[in-house]
Amino acid sequence: MTMLKQIKYIAILFTGSIAWSSCEKVIDVKLDNAESQLVIEGTITDQPGQQLIKISKSVPYTENNTYPPVSGAVVLVTDDNGHSWTFSETTPGFYTFPALKGETGRTYTLKATVNNVVYTASSSMPAPVAIDFLDVKVFNFGGDDQKQAQVHYKDPAGIANQYRFVMKVNGIQSKQVYAENDRLSDGNDVPSVLFFTGNNDDQDQLRTGDVVDIEMQCIDKNVFLYWYTLSQQSSNGPSGGTTPGNPPSNINNKALGYFSVHTVSKKQLTVQ
Amino acid sequence: MKITFIFLFSFLSSFPLILSAQQRITISGTVKDGATGETLIGATVKLQNATQNIGLATNAYGFYSITTAAGEYNLTVSYSGYQISTQKISLSKALTINVALSSASTLQEVQISAGDLKNENVKNPQMGLNKINMKDLDNVPVLLGEKDVLKAIQFLPGVKSGGEGNTGFFVRGGAADQNLILLDEATVYNSAHLLGFFSTFNADAIKDVSLYKGGMPAQYGGRLSSVLDVKMQDGNDKKFGVEGGIGLIASRIKAEGPLVQNKSSFMISARRTYIDLLLKAFGDSALKKNTLNFYDINAKVNYKFDDKNTLYLSGYFGQDNIGIKDLFANDWGNTTATMRFNHIFNNRLFSNTSLIYNRYSYAVELIDEQSNAKVKSLIRDLNFKQDFQYFSSNHLLRFGLQGTHHQITPSDITASGNSSINPLSIEKRYGVEFGAYVSDEWKLSEKFNLLIGLRLSQFSLLGPGKINTYNPAAEVISSKTYSSGEFVKNYFNLEPRFSASYTLNDKNSIKASYNRNTQNIHILSNSGTSAPTDQYVMSSNNIKPEIGDQIALGYFKNTEDNGYEFSAEVYYKWLQNQIDYKDGADLTANAEVESLLLYGKGRAYGVELYGKKTKGRLTGWISYTLSKTERQFDGINQGTYFPARQDRTHDLSLVAMYNLSKRWSVSANYIFNTGNAVTYPAGKYNVGGLTTYYYTDRNANRMPNTSRLDIGATLKAKETRRFQSSWTFSIYNVLNTKNPYAIRFRDKENDPSRTEAVQTSLFGIIPSVTYNFKF
Repeated sequence: MTMLKQIKYIAILFTGSIAWSSCEKVIDVKLDNAESQLVIEGTITDQPGQQLIKISKSVPYTENNTYPPVSGAVVLVTDDNGHSWTFSETTPGFYTFPALKGETGRTYTLKATVNNVVYTASSSMPAPVAIDFLDVKVFNFGGDDQKQAQVHYKDPAGIANQYRFVMKVNGIQSKQVYAENDRLSDGNDVPSVLFFTGNNDDQDQLRTGDVVDIEMQCIDKNVFLYWYTLSQQSSNGPSGGTTPGNPPSNINNKALGYFSVHTVSKKQLTVQ
Repeated sequence: MKITFIFLFSFLSSFPLILSAQQRITISGTVKDGATGETLIGATVKLQNATQNIGLATNAYGFYSITTAAGEYNLTVSYSGYQISTQKISLSKALTINVALSSASTLQEVQISAGDLKNENVKNPQMGLNKINMKDLDNVPVLLGEKDVLKAIQFLPGVKSGGEGNTGFFVRGGAADQNLILLDEATVYNSAHLLGFFSTFNADAIKDVSLYKGGMPAQYGGRLSSVLDVKMQDGNDKKFGVEGGIGLIASRIKAEGPLVQNKSSFMISARRTYIDLLLKAFGDSALKKNTLNFYDINAKVNYKFDDKNTLYLSGYFGQDNIGIKDLFANDWGNTTATMRFNHIFNNRLFSNTSLIYNRYSYAVELIDEQSNAKVKSLIRDLNFKQDFQYFSSNHLLRFGLQGTHHQITPSDITASGNSSINPLSIEKRYGVEFGAYVSDEWKLSEKFNLLIGLRLSQFSLLGPGKINTYNPAAEVISSKTYSSGEFVKNYFNLEPRFSASYTLNDKNSIKASYNRNTQNIHILSNSGTSAPTDQYVMSSNNIKPEIGDQIALGYFKNTEDNGYEFSAEVYYKWLQNQIDYKDGADLTANAEVESLLLYGKGRAYGVELYGKKTKGRLTGWISYTLSKTERQFDGINQGTYFPARQDRTHDLSLVAMYNLSKRWSVSANYIFNTGNAVTYPAGKYNVGGLTTYYYTDRNANRMPNTSRLDIGATLKAKETRRFQSSWTFSIYNVLNTKNPYAIRFRDKENDPSRTEAVQTSLFGIIPSVTYNFKF
């Protein structure tokens, strides 16, 4: 998987460098505006402390990127060992539980009741895999060196693992979705390049002095499918690449979003 | 099955009865170019006297045979771009007359003017057929001056381009993998060079190009949408010659000549691009360490043992190389080899036997200490074809057998050292296809022509291998290991083919056709057009053969002695067992790829208008297509029909060539089409810290329209008896139109609270020049 992703990015960067006369412009497009949809984004991590379930609504494409919070929901999380936690709304649309730590191997179920509709989702906590170290990988397409951050981790042999990475460069989250699994790299020391394409897809490398924060999450198969589908849609192939669609959510009743129970490992790097 | 054979047998055995009832005399022979000895495909041969007027077209090897009553006749042979040959013959016993035509010089307005000699397009029952005149290709302006058969066919009605600069194409609503592309009968699985900007067909080596969009004759099978039948030149059997061209990004050279005078000739043609070398020479640092090229070679030899036996050997080899030093390498290529043996049993029965090999392979390699790996995949076919053509007075019968053995290597991953990637070999898959067909081009009356045919297609997936059967939830419901040669799954399909023409008068006709086609080799591709990473799968226990049915109705008209040709066709097409894949499907190096597929239906309909001016200083054509193409899959778009990506409502092409003087000619082409059907966001939300888009209906939106004007000019240098040369100048996209290639959505840079749509355009204005020579 790592390899395929790498090939894809190299191909994109490379074709970019040869399509000498390609150009970009902002255009007006006519869009249908859909009704607002319910969005649930729930996470339970293996880090002790507050856990957060966010409930909001989607907005029409033409509106500002401010998403109305949904208040008054009843949010309950249970596990497969008879425990349950009732989340309370601390700020509008933010439902929290102050002290909860997800346990490896446990399956957690989210039950959110919003306007008499019950939305449920389940997710399991995978075994933790930590970041070994971070370094900078230098690519050279013939011109200047190009720097990209690289995560190293040791994939546990014999079991299927799925990962998601969140990268921040100087405190700003990268626009790319990074998801991979060990289908082709089971049991190995894996170096994974997280290609940074800038805040506006117009930059394709890191610069000296950039501070890079990387969070590695071990996720279950359904959550991986969600992120992997999103990551495929961010590609930009001939005539638009993969037909975009809503990623398959693990939440029922057509809610958008996901419920992810995952591990967290973080490291920081300053680009030299 | 049994019934079918009985049917075929009785059909075949009834022919001798029809034939023996008429005591007639046969004239047969071969039509050739007098200067080069190239056989002429589709030349019109007419036998006329006061009471009789019989005509037909020469077959793929230039052979004709006419059987009629004894008597005095005029034998007239004509072919576009050649002077007409007329001779008086006295038919009292069987005759063999070989005809050599001389090329009409371009400025002589001779062409054809012998009454109703032509009108072939009106009288022939075949419809949905377009031919490319290879001479026109010299003048049509193209991207970077590389004349290209596949780009030229995109100017025809009913054919839609795969995208800007792309050689991929869609015919009458079919997918890109539903075109059967043949080069000297060998299947070319990937017809694209350099990410699809150039095709594998080197125009120098090509003699004849026919595109069947509907009413496919029964000898063709295996793809739903179209047949692109490309035939290579045989080589000059009179004298040795060299020709070539030097262009901005590619050069080509061809040599041909006799091996044994009038018995054997050869042709070899080679082409190589040098974008990478050129950019290096200009000091473009970004490409200094990179490879970006392709080359290809076409070669053919033939040997004529005697008037009745001819052997042809032809081959193609092409390879693309893309690479970044110490990082990445990607190469792919096709190889084809065809051996054909023509045998004329008697002056009525023509036979061709072919043995064909073709192979498409692709490899991508990561060259990196920590994550090195090489992925290889290939598809290889071995074919046997036996075709008979029997010419009788009112019938042209064609029947034969075809067998193909397929081998697909989906993915072989190798890795070395401490690579983070594990070696993996996905099981090879084997299959055999068998086809038997019979067709009859039947002249019922002066006005009524029929082409009826039937094809039996059989496909078997063969062991060895571990074969899983999946349910719709992608779970394995059964698994079985088969031994070598064991049948895993068999499919039989009967494919009726039917075309008819009714001539209203010499200049007007109406035609109708129906055909069923089936397809057992399917491409899984993430991009809409051909890409080197396309995955090939065969019909199996999970995948059913694709089936396509098409009906079409047409009106054909000629005026001014074929100076103007006009046609209008309407078609409706039903497609079954179409393939798409589930969200998030990871197709690469995946043994479970068949679990990721969705199956659905398709329908396509449209009107095609085509007008062509064939004579005078101004020649060219205009084509317009109004069409709709839809697909339906359970699980996509709430199970309702949605537009296919290549559904473009309007599609207009104009090609014009004008002879200014003996030395100068100019040309222009213009295209306009509705944008591709795409899915735009209808809303947005935030997950994982990112703006994420909400989609409703699949492909409910449109990319902006595309239009482009290209112009070209050809200057012929002073000709000497031994040396000819010309310069071709072209300007692609002369209006510098910013056509959409891709559209994506992103947060605005200076106002991240808003989103915007960004269009990528590929080619602006691109001038080019090519120098061509011949001696």
